[in-house]
Amino acid sequence: MTHGTNKIDETDALIARLAQETRPLRPLANPVRRGFVWGVFALFFGALMVWAIGPRPDLPERLTDARFLLEQGAALATGLAAAVAALALTVPGAPPLLRVLPIAPGAVWIGTLSLGCLRDWWQFGAQGLRITPDPACFVYIALIGSLPALVLFGMVRRGAPLSPRWTLLLGALAAAGFGNFALRFFHMQDAALMVLVWQVGSVALLACVAGLCGRRLFAWPVRTA
Amino acid sequence: MAAKSNQDTAQERRALEDLMRQAQAGDARAYQLLLSEVAIRVRRLVSRRAPWLSPADREDVVQDILLSVHQARATWDPARPFLPWMVAIARARLADNARRYARRATIDLALSDLAETFCDLPTNYNSESVVNLLTVRKAMKGLTPAEQQAVNLLRLREMSLAEASAASGSSVAALKVAIHRAMRKMKVTIWKD
Repeated sequence: MTHGTNKIDETDALIARLAQETRPLRPLANPVRRGFVWGVFALFFGALMVWAIGPRPDLPERLTDARFLLEQGAALATGLAAAVAALALTVPGAPPLLRVLPIAPGAVWIGTLSLGCLRDWWQFGAQGLRITPDPACFVYIALIGSLPALVLFGMVRRGAPLSPRWTLLLGALAAAGFGNFALRFFHMQDAALMVLVWQVGSVALLACVAGLCGRRLFAWPVRTA
Repeated sequence: MAAKSNQDTAQERRALEDLMRQAQAGDARAYQLLLSEVAIRVRRLVSRRAPWLSPADREDVVQDILLSVHQARATWDPARPFLPWMVAIARARLADNARRYARRATIDLALSDLAETFCDLPTNYNSESVVNLLTVRKAMKGLTPAEQQAVNLLRLREMSLAEASAASGSSVAALKVAIHRAMRKMKVTIWKD
């Protein structure tokens, strides 16, 4: 009993200490708004990288291709939805719908690329489904996604680590999704299977690695008293 | 009567939300009151959700939840209700603690054989304990001297961290690291056998 009472006294002391530490703070904005703010920054950074590396020569032609636009739109929407979901996961009691937001655009993204594979196979036969090594995709996606990923990590850390693995997985998916979106404005690789394997594969790999590091990088404070 | 109770609950909720608003504005007194109210509710929740914990362990969980509420206080949106926000944090921390508890129980289970073998050696002269002893010796062979000492003091002689620190001259932090590494290594060796 004495031990339990001591523990309750300890809790009261902790409450007093936390109350002393409190300072005025501004509540975090809605995850949707924060996600859009981050999206604008990631787009700006992506545009800067495209400008620095140099856009692909057939870009005007690509911008009139419905398939290219659909794939790019789906990649961008997946990235944005993943950023909103990652931020929503750090807000206790946030609407559960926000957490599953990337599923629909992600399905459209994978779906359009899978349909593209079928179309390539139909048009070019086995030649249309040839996979050649293209590790540059991974490097570019990681490079273009790096700064937005760091910024998003900083934003996420202002929230609560309720599901650290999912939060970091979705955060990395958002950054890599934006990286992939920017990549296709300068990297001339449009074969659906190649995009699916090397580009979406790189995005998935980066997201999984970040997810695995979730608990180490994003944890609750440790009691020291 | 029920209507009156609902009204009281609604009033309580509003009072908590007012306190949280004042706390976000930097009012230390309001924050202290709020955390005291949170502690009472969380204590009830922990007792209901984790009745197997000792009162001291339960209070540890309560303190973890209070720290988490403190860390996450900027995530509360004044336009949203306070209690679901608080309960979401409490549930996440309870789940973390349940995971930690299960991990600790697994390690303790793996080690209970070792402790029994050493403590009751004179009464265990049978083939099983000889096999256990050999397994333990083999498991301990893979440890560094500091890790062996940590196992000996903390697990076999069941000293507290403070007592073990005084006996060995190592710091509490060093002992924690050593025992953690030793447990991991021994678990691997024992389960491999």
